[in-house]
Amino acid sequence: MVQLVGSLRRELADSLATCKVLVVGAGGIGCELLKNLVLTGFKNIEVIDLDTIDVSNLNRQFLFQKKHVGKSKAQVAKESALQFCPSANIVAYHDSVMNADYNVEFFRKFILVMNALDNRAARNHVNRMCLAADIPLIESGTAGYLGQVTVIKKGMTECYECQPKPTQKTFPGCTIRNTPSEPIHCIVWAKFLFNQLFGEEDADKDVSPDTADPEAAWKPEETAARAKASEKDGDIKRVSTKQWASSIEYDPIKIFNKLFKDDIMYLLIMDKLWKKRKAPTPLNWQELEKRACPQEEIPVSGLKDQQVLSVWGNCQLFKHSVETLRSQLKGKEAGAQLVWDKDDPPAMDFVTSAANLRMHVFSMNTKSRFDVKSMAGNIIPAIATTNAIIAGLIVLEGLKILSGEIESCRTIFLNKCPNLRKKLLVPCILDPPSADCYVCASQPEVTVKLNVHKTMVLSLQDRILKERFGMVAPDVQIEDGKGTILISSEEGETETNNSKFLSDFGIRNGSRLQVDDFLQDYTLLVNVLHTEELERDVEFEVVGEAPDKAPPPQSSQKDDNNITNGSKDSAQPSTSSKAPADDSDDLMIVDSDEEEPVSSSSATTASGTKRKHPDAETGEMSTKRPADREEERRRRRQ
Amino acid sequence: MIDTIEKEDPVITEEEAAQYDRQIRLWGLDAQTRLRGSRVLLAGLGGLGAEVAKNLILAGVKSLTLLDHEKVSEETCRAQFLVPVTAQGKNRAEASLERAQNLNPMVEVHADPGRVEDKPDDFFLDFDTVCLTGCSRDLMVRVDQICSQRKIKVFCGDVYGYYGYMFCNLGKEHSYVEEKPKIVKPTKDSNDGPEAKKSKVDPNETTLVKKTSSFCTLKEALEVDWTSEKAKAGLKRTPVDYFLLHVLLKFRTDKGRDPDPQSFTGDSQLLRQIRDDVLETLAVSSDLLNDDFISYCFSEMSPVCAVMGGVLGQEVVKALSQRDAPHRNFFFFDGRKGNGHG
Repeated sequence: MVQLVGSLRRELADSLATCKVLVVGAGGIGCELLKNLVLTGFKNIEVIDLDTIDVSNLNRQFLFQKKHVGKSKAQVAKESALQFCPSANIVAYHDSVMNADYNVEFFRKFILVMNALDNRAARNHVNRMCLAADIPLIESGTAGYLGQVTVIKKGMTECYECQPKPTQKTFPGCTIRNTPSEPIHCIVWAKFLFNQLFGEEDADKDVSPDTADPEAAWKPEETAARAKASEKDGDIKRVSTKQWASSIEYDPIKIFNKLFKDDIMYLLIMDKLWKKRKAPTPLNWQELEKRACPQEEIPVSGLKDQQVLSVWGNCQLFKHSVETLRSQLKGKEAGAQLVWDKDDPPAMDFVTSAANLRMHVFSMNTKSRFDVKSMAGNIIPAIATTNAIIAGLIVLEGLKILSGEIESCRTIFLNKCPNLRKKLLVPCILDPPSADCYVCASQPEVTVKLNVHKTMVLSLQDRILKERFGMVAPDVQIEDGKGTILISSEEGETETNNSKFLSDFGIRNGSRLQVDDFLQDYTLLVNVLHTEELERDVEFEVVGEAPDKAPPPQSSQKDDNNITNGSKDSAQPSTSSKAPADDSDDLMIVDSDEEEPVSSSSATTASGTKRKHPDAETGEMSTKRPADREEERRRRRQ
Repeated sequence: MIDTIEKEDPVITEEEAAQYDRQIRLWGLDAQTRLRGSRVLLAGLGGLGAEVAKNLILAGVKSLTLLDHEKVSEETCRAQFLVPVTAQGKNRAEASLERAQNLNPMVEVHADPGRVEDKPDDFFLDFDTVCLTGCSRDLMVRVDQICSQRKIKVFCGDVYGYYGYMFCNLGKEHSYVEEKPKIVKPTKDSNDGPEAKKSKVDPNETTLVKKTSSFCTLKEALEVDWTSEKAKAGLKRTPVDYFLLHVLLKFRTDKGRDPDPQSFTGDSQLLRQIRDDVLETLAVSSDLLNDDFISYCFSEMSPVCAVMGGVLGQEVVKALSQRDAPHRNFFFFDGRKGNGHG
């Protein structure tokens, strides 16, 4: 005899009241999810988020109000959700889920983990923790009108990392430094410039003309000769940009003339670059000042951020922002640095004006501060309704898991408009684990192509193991018969190795490294494939992946839609692709794969065809979307 | 009409721009400006009503009127997060007001404890959009007719356990704009390298295209003659949820309430009976809808309210901001399958 508590079977309602679940993230999806869990009858909930509340969250993170700005998201979300059900037991952690306190044992406390995250690093980590603890994970993501929910269960479904994800889009150094052709190139340049002047200098993020540009085809001796010829530039180059700026006391006009006059004139000397391109036009502060008419600067009504400034307007903004940043820097102790933040007005003003001036120099149409901010900050648009729908779907999948019906779980995609079969929400059957997944396979293994004479231990650790393979604290042992420890996660044990090259430790073509991450309970075997033939600016390549396994043909369109990682994803100034403001995501939501014909009423019939989808990683967006037109056509012919 | 932005308060303030930043980046400043000039009536403050109210208040409409004559009870407020736990026995609209207002102080939120049935036709003229939940079929048909004659947009929706539906009627001629990638022709000044000589689709530039679409009334949508050849041909493409909706609306008409978990056995039997009657009256096959739905259509289920409130809320936003193609005209959600279609 069926007995109901609300809409639920009594047995299910009872189990909700006693089980314990974890919500990772108390942002857009997290707020909605907490509300749904509490109203559905979940009583024991833990929530973790390291973030604090910002005013731009308030259009969707409805557990927060203006008075909460600056407070812990997890804490305020807990207090607000408790009002819906004071008898619930909610534990809030204002912390990073990647902190070592949240070990496998911590994850084992839960019957179910739900991700409500906005970045790939944390998603990778929670994926591994749940695999290690063997706890089912519901993964989710949203971006604008689009959203997705999926279920990950060790040994039964694909894990979050079974499918290769497109890496963050970066631009070649010479495009940024010498030959920008799109506004984004100028914006990336302006962000690099900020760090060169006020922040942490990074040799890979230089902003001055690149004389080694292969396209310029200068012989080295010629370069030296020309550099000598240009006395001014030679002077500047011997010291770092920051030292130079400091020596002239951050005089905005001198900085302006170096960047937009002298450096551009230097680029003009590299005449091969301008054979097939329109050459840039240098700007001169003093001349602009003479020509500027006062009427030009009469403030226009409307939102300040939406206005597109004149060249002189940008000059003024540049001068003003340099002066403000200079005094910010002065207010700090010697050697201190500023960190670029899209929400810090002078930093954003600086990037807006510098990028616009460079766009002008390279004959591009300049942009409003609003548009520059979208691109510079990798802002992913977000609305309440998408998050509400996705959070509702998460709980429905969770209820299937708690009812012991995990086999009826689905990946569900939310489209912007209905697909050709009139579906707005499209359930797809879950794929089984990928046999060669470097995370969830029984003995994970990868082959990495690199130059053992040029790759330092530190870059193996930071770029390859942490950034690329998502580890938090790797230990590396060389399988050389002696068990040489290359990297130890214990502080102070192997730091002296950091600046040595892999070849210094006898690592050569065919060497094998055993890499362990104890927190993630994860071991990866890395095969080293030595090569001297990596492209310029490429440190390493993972074999069997990009470019050979990269998303299929229509990837050029997809790139345009991919707003790779959220801005919180990495500390480095991101060069990831384009602004989401002019979101053209209907390109992505072509008809997608469906598990059953519309007329069928059974939830278990599944079409035999299965395919791998290219991934759309976005801010709150998680794994993959069916967007493969070619495959769709093929499937229809069957 | 699309050219009515200047109606009132055309300028978005800096404060609004800061709070609505992430959505302005999605639907644009014009859409936001239209939203903040729109007045919405929301009837029915159950679980679905609360979700819709939240979504519209967060989106930043000009005003939202919460209309509900019912009293707060445990069963009807199971999925209702705007009503405080201490408000048992109070009017649902009035009990929801404070939390609804706290979601966004820039929106005027009103509570009206009256009955929709008692409102004169003129009452609806004060609104740009009317959204009905928890109403009887006759009432929805009546309000839909009043509103469509006066160019007021109408939305109806309900949640029954794991099932939810939405219907919308945006009138005979609803105008909207849609964003399309722009075809860029190279200009003399452009400097995009040699490959940029021919025209191309520039993913960074889009253009807005004006379109219109036409809607039928709720009466027409519900009174399809399934014996006609045209309807028979379309039967295969009609979700069974459409017939389930007929059953549940009939239950509401007959009993004056929705299936109640407290009287599960009796209500289950009645649902089975009504199902048989409805399918017979509509002259469609009696095995179109098996018994499976019966035990899953009780009470409003919170996550289903969230999904339906999200879809319905977004459709209201689209209609008011005249931005993007509206959903036509039914949307059905089945929470057990995760299926959502029209």
